[in-house]
Parts: sequence; C-alpha cells; structure tokens
Amino acid sequence: MIDVKTEKLEALSLEELYALADRTGLDLPPGLERPFVIEEIAEVLEEEEEESEERHVSQGEALHVDEKKYSDLRIDDIGIDPPPAEEAIVSRYNETMIRAIARDPSWAFAYWDVSDADLATMRGDETTAGLFLRVVEIGQKEKKAASEGHQEYFDIPVNDGDLQWYINLPRSGVRFRIELCARKLGLGKFHVLARSNEVESPRQSLALPKGGFKNVSYVLLSLSGIEDLPLDDLPDGNPLRLSHAGLGEPADRAY
Amino acid sequence: MENGYLALVLNAHMPFVRRPEYPRFLEERWLFEAISETYLPLLRMFRSLEADGVSFHLSLSISPTLASMLSDKILGDKYIAYLDAQLALAAAEEERIGGDPAFGPLARMYKNLYRADKDDFVELYGRDILAAFDYYYKKGRVELLTSAATHAFLPLFRDSPESIVAQVETAIVTHRNAFGKHPAGFWLPQLGWYPGVAEVLRAYNVQYTVVTTKGAIFGDPTPERGSFAPVECPAGLLAFVRDAEAANAVLSESSGYPSDPVYRDFYRDIGFDLPANYLQGHLEGSEERIFTGFKYWAVTGRTNNKVPYNPLSAQAKAAQHAAQFLADRSKEAENAAKLMDRPPLMVCPFDAELFGHWWFEGPAFLEALFRLTASSSGLGMITLGDYARCYPQNQISTPEFSSWGDGGFAEVWLDGSNDWIYRHISKAIERMSELAERFPDESGLRERILNQAAREVLISMCSDWALLMRSGKSSAFGRKQIEEAISNFSRIYDMLCSNTVSTEWLTKLEKRDNLFPDINYRMYRKKR
Repeated sequence: MIDVKTEKLEALSLEELYALADRTGLDLPPGLERPFVIEEIAEVLEEEEEESEERHVSQGEALHVDEKKYSDLRIDDIGIDPPPAEEAIVSRYNETMIRAIARDPSWAFAYWDVSDADLATMRGDETTAGLFLRVVEIGQKEKKAASEGHQEYFDIPVNDGDLQWYINLPRSGVRFRIELCARKLGLGKFHVLARSNEVESPRQSLALPKGGFKNVSYVLLSLSGIEDLPLDDLPDGNPLRLSHAGLGEPADRAY
Repeated sequence: MENGYLALVLNAHMPFVRRPEYPRFLEERWLFEAISETYLPLLRMFRSLEADGVSFHLSLSISPTLASMLSDKILGDKYIAYLDAQLALAAAEEERIGGDPAFGPLARMYKNLYRADKDDFVELYGRDILAAFDYYYKKGRVELLTSAATHAFLPLFRDSPESIVAQVETAIVTHRNAFGKHPAGFWLPQLGWYPGVAEVLRAYNVQYTVVTTKGAIFGDPTPERGSFAPVECPAGLLAFVRDAEAANAVLSESSGYPSDPVYRDFYRDIGFDLPANYLQGHLEGSEERIFTGFKYWAVTGRTNNKVPYNPLSAQAKAAQHAAQFLADRSKEAENAAKLMDRPPLMVCPFDAELFGHWWFEGPAFLEALFRLTASSSGLGMITLGDYARCYPQNQISTPEFSSWGDGGFAEVWLDGSNDWIYRHISKAIERMSELAERFPDESGLRERILNQAAREVLISMCSDWALLMRSGKSSAFGRKQIEEAISNFSRIYDMLCSNTVSTEWLTKLEKRDNLFPDINYRMYRKKR
C-alpha cells in the first residue's frame, strides 16, 4: 500500500516542508536534508493518526459509521494546507454577553464577550480588578429550587483575553447559570456584566418512583444493560447494587 | 402472538454537499458512494424479498438533506457521470487483472455492480430513488421517518427553541413534499434527545422517536420494562429505546460482525495501492488519491498482509451472522418475556450507510435476517408505527439528555476542535429570529432573501460539520461549510439592515443552496 502522506510530502518544496514542520510542532534545525525533513514530519503525522485511531477504538463509538461516510482523505487532513490568510467570519460580535451549554454530566461550556465600550469603561475605572465567572447552582432536578435565600456557587477567575471556558461541574443533574462578573476593589465587591441562560446538566442516576420499583423491573434493567452504564449512585438495598459493584464504564459498548 | 419483536430502524443521511458550480466535487462522491453501496442495494434487497413473497418490515429515516439531493437533477446527472467513470475504471481493471484467478472475478464483480446501478437508476427507477422507496412505503413494507432538516444535534440548541422548530417544521414539509404523507416518526440526529424536544415534536403531530438505552434508563421515572418497551413522554410522544446488546453485536469495533476476517476490507482500496499515473483519468479529474470503491482484500486481521477477498465466503458468513443475531435476540426476548406483560421489543437503530458502504456484506446480512425471521416462529419484525398501534398504552416517563456519540452526551459535537462554531450559529439564529419579527409578512424579493437566510442558518447547524472537525477527516471542508453559511447569512442580514439587496448574488446563492424550496422564514418567529 502506497504511503499517501509521504507521497504528498514529496510534492512540497523545502520551504513548504519547513512551514509544515513548524505547524506540526517540530523544531527542526535549519539546513536539514530534504529526505530527513520528510521523514520527521511523516513520523509525527503517523503518531498523531495512531493516537486518533486508538482513541476512537477505545471509545467504541457508533460514530465510526458516520465518519466512514466521508471516506475520502483531503490534503488538509495532514495539515499541509496553510491556515486561511484571513478569517472568513468575524471572531466576535462586540456585545457584552455570556452563554452556557451543558455538554455532559461533568462539563459545561461557556462563551462570552465584553463589548469594546464596556471594556473601555472597565479599564478607565480604577476600582475594577479583573473578570471572573460565577457558576450559580439554581437547583437540582429532583428539588426544583435551591433552599430559599441560599444559592450555591463557585467562582473561576478569567483573563481579559479569554472568551470561552469549559467548566467542571461538581455533580450531575443540576440546574445552573453562569454570571460574567467584574471584580471591584474591596472585599467581595463585584459587578455582574451579563447572566447566561439557565442550563441543566444531565443526571446519571436512577429516578426510581417513590412508590417502589418491582424486582422484575430491576432484572429487566439488568437485561437492558444497566451494568454498562456509569451510575452516580444506587440506593441502598437495590438489587443492582451488587451486580454493579466494581464495574466501570466499559470501553467498547453502546448504550 | 409472537414471543418478541425486532424493530430495525435505519437512518439514511448525507449532509448537503451539492456544488453545481464545479463539474466534479470530491464531497459529492460521498452521496454517490452511498447510492451505489447502500440505497440501491437496499432497494435490490426489497425487490428480491418481494419477488420471493417474503414479508419484511423496516423503519427507514430519510433525512431532509438527503431527500433534497436525491431529487436534484444536477446531482442525478453527476451520479450517472460517476457511474460511467466507475465503469471505465472497471474495464481498465478487467484488462489489468482479468486473468488473475483471485482478482479477475472481483474486477468483474465491480463491473457488474456498477452496470446494475446504472440500469436500476436510469431504467428501473427513472432516476428517482425517492419514488422507489415510496413504492414500498405505500405498500406498508417500509415505514419512512423524517429527521431534523439539516441533521442538527438538537440538544446543543435547546436554548434557541425557534431553531428547533425550524429544524422540525422544515423536515416535516420536506417529507410531505417528497412522499405525500405526514411522517409519524422522527429520527433524532445522533439519537440526540433532551427533555423538551417531545413538546416540539408533538406540536407537529410526530408520534414517536428513538432514544438510547442510557437516555431511557436515566429517564424520570426509571422505565419499568427497561429497554424492552417504549415510554410515553407526558407530551404524548413515544420514545422507543435502543437495544444495547443488538447495537454492540454490530457496532463494536473489536467484536462487531463487520470486523470478521472474511469480510471485505473497507480501507484497502486501489486508490491507495496503485501508481498515481494509472489512476489518473479514472478519478473524475481528482488529483488526490481517493477511495475508488475497488477493494480486493479481506479484513484478515490487524495486519497489512491481507488475503484476497472471497465474495462467496463473505456471503456465507453474513448469513451465519444473521442467524447468530437472530438467535441472540431470541434468547434475549425469552429472558425478558418471562418478566413482562407483553412481548418484549428490541429496537435496532443503525445508520443506513453502515450496510453496504462500510460493511459491504451488510445488505446480505439484512436480507438473510428478513428471510430467517419470516421462515421461523419466535421473533417477528415490526415497524415502530405498527408497534405503537398494537401497544398504545405505555409507561409515562421522560428520557434524560443523551446521544449515541462517545460518552453518550454531546462530547463529539462540542469539544476543543469545534466549540468555536456555537458562538456564530447561535448569533445567526438570534439574528434570524430578529429578522422574522421585523419582517413578518414579506413577499417578493424580500421574502426570497429571508427564506435564503433561513436556509443558511439551517445549513450552519448541520451536525456533520462539527463531526468532521472532530474526526480530523476533511476537517477544513467541515469548517468551510459553516463559515460559508454564516458568512452568507451575515451578508443577508447586513443587506436587510441597510435595505440594499444584490439580486445577482442572491440568485446565485439560491441556485447553489437550493434545498428546501418551500421553506418559510417565519418559523423563526418567537412563539407567543
């Protein structure tokens, strides 16, 4: 089988090869012979591909089918094409805002922006001391509202240049929002610049009915493959507790 | 009464890759390969079963973007040109290796397949594959479902309800235009479910969908019948539950049927084996090495020393795997039936392109499965709609946010490789809603431009682009599709804000991104 990567690399000039080496993170000494440059780059690309394949296999994803629909390898896939000279779309919309998306039980994604005008105001205000995100828990799914007058939260400092962040959530199955805040000098003082939409992280636990759950239903859940699911907790006395003990999330399973 | 039911649900989908401005466009080959390797073989299987009087029942989702492309004349012409190029390559291959005892028959096999494709497409179906599927739909053999307009991964847009409405409404309209019937079932792209989507689907009179085992089991309350019966959401939507064991039997990378050593190897293709100068002239002008579809080697194992592919052995293995699959499901049903008040249902949702495109022998596996179930007592094949009619009473429960992607949530469509897109798509959705509110009752040119804006927003939401960026395959192409759609939308937005319209540019864009001719931009208005 022909080594396509090497074949493609052979078609590039030495200058292009050095530029590509730069982009792949290789620090090659100047004046290296062309075959060695190609060999070094090919090796890095091969390693990257193997890592990617290993990741996919270990995760056993159903999406392999989707990926195989797109069966042809474009030259950009090995990073030979330089990045576009200019951005095709604007990078920001110059507005003060923050938006949150729940990605999975453990992680949320937030992106935000501060308008040029607000940024100028902040910079002109000597009492402003940087930005931070406040992640405010609004309630758990089972208990629709948090205790009256009390909301749990935690803060994440961010830099002026940051525009997005993945946030590790302390537990699954919570409703929360994220506030983009400017810290003010003085203990605990701050100003909320924007509030995100409210989001819910998915729950990873059983929502057993209050009236109890039939034993046959536990067996049906077991036959359905519940042992393969990552459960946060199981109630005491639950027949599944024993069968689930010690089982982690399997690598190559659909659920 | 059957001891249990098997519901096979296939999702046929391709992202919108039509590029009429180019005589040849590499990504259009994705569609052509799927037609040749999956859609036509499925139809051939239906014909064969029908000719032998074998009863078969299948639920099949045809995505709106695929339906748009399958009914497009330009793409039809290009598909015929693709088949001609494949036949020319087949002739060259026959000349090159026709005398070889191992490879000669394979070269002739490909020639015969591409000839059959051309005969079927041009003569038998009059270039109308949708009508061919519709024939079996009307006969009650195949139940057709729809899916989100551009296969958007809906959970990531749940906070923009107008965008969910746009995906659902456009899908329903496209399905009705293509098949003259309202779709009762809706395939959630990537099985991406979130609490709340049921209300939108029910508002459009969708009756059922499919969710993952994980989504159902973590639902509220926990389903008493596990994955062996659907649950009914409070809004009235039935959520059928994927059978995890059945999925693993096929999809597991390490032990799934397609990885069997005798099956045809997907990756080993003459496009990467033979000298470039031989291939040039046969690859539709492509200067890249690409998959040609001519593959002569068996999976063999994790080695580069592959053995030649033997179609007869592979067909026999497919029949064997079908029997194994049926036996395993029968055992599963037997265990569950003892504990249930009705025959257990095992729902097997797969991407249609798995069968034929990736797993070359997949259609043979399906045909053997249909024949076996028809000839043996025990398990019966059923469509989702028929099951819903037989068992209208189901436990009330709301599944939890879930998908069939890595990890079971949204990690595939939201990670470091593609997260930047959501800022832009979300802004485009917000601005589209703003336009729909500002111009609620337009006609003529302004309505055209608003409808095109709505199309561009839908295109930007396609989950395939994020997937491509994450997979590293054609990632620049995926990125470009989103950038173009957002850029086109932004230009329209600016035009409408400044009250200046470039009709020449608009007409050109309408001709290129011509999907969803009956789109109605007003669906982006906020619900009151």
